[in-house]
Amino acid sequence: MSRFKNRLMAKVLTRFQWLFERAVAKPEVYLDVGAIPWVPMTKRLSECRVAIVTTAGVHLKGEPPFDMVDKDGDPSFRAIPLSAPNGALMITHDYYDHADAEKDVNIVFPIDRLKEMAKSGLIGEVALVNYSFMGHIDGRHIDTLVRKSAPQVAGLLKSAGVDAVLLTPG
Amino acid sequence: MPTVGVSIARRFTEEVRPPRSVFVKWPMGHPLGEPGRVDTQTAVISAAFKVLVNSTEPGIIVDLPYRWKRYEDLKKEV
Repeated sequence: MSRFKNRLMAKVLTRFQWLFERAVAKPEVYLDVGAIPWVPMTKRLSECRVAIVTTAGVHLKGEPPFDMVDKDGDPSFRAIPLSAPNGALMITHDYYDHADAEKDVNIVFPIDRLKEMAKSGLIGEVALVNYSFMGHIDGRHIDTLVRKSAPQVAGLLKSAGVDAVLLTPG
Repeated sequence: MPTVGVSIARRFTEEVRPPRSVFVKWPMGHPLGEPGRVDTQTAVISAAFKVLVNSTEPGIIVDLPYRWKRYEDLKKEV
């Protein structure tokens, strides 16, 4: 029942922009993020290996889906190899309406656009592995995200020689 | 490593304070636009990369001049 409610709410908030704006006007959790992290670009974009990190709940069909039962969400992440065809991907995320993203995953995980940009020379190359979270992360899971899973993904990207990251929501 | 994010909830982005963002006032689930609209998707990513390359101070949020389904806006300079 709770999943049905979440999915229904997601459809309503997607359909009615003013309701969405009202819903996000007052975040329930206020984070103390301290100083804004800053790493300057030191390479030309055309020489950069670029990765996508999305919070749209995208993952390979064969992998365990994100937890949709825990009301605080799921702070884990999934790796998406560059070699995975779009047909091998699916979305598990009850907190936004992903009917359109299922028609074209590029609206939340723009992997084809990045491949085109690598081909045209705008960016150097696309990372061999990209990453996905499920953006509904609340309560006790925020700490896990901040202290564990986000730094883990950052470490994986760094060790893969990624120079820049495009972040996309759901 | 340097990051740039696409935001569809400006209020959240102001709260979380990422280093560089571009904002589009578009429906949830559509940060890069509509399915199959390669031109829109490319425009948002290109704008995000401009911000990635050109911004010099942390916390910048650039409001993109692209209205929902108004394709003529894609010609506007960011």
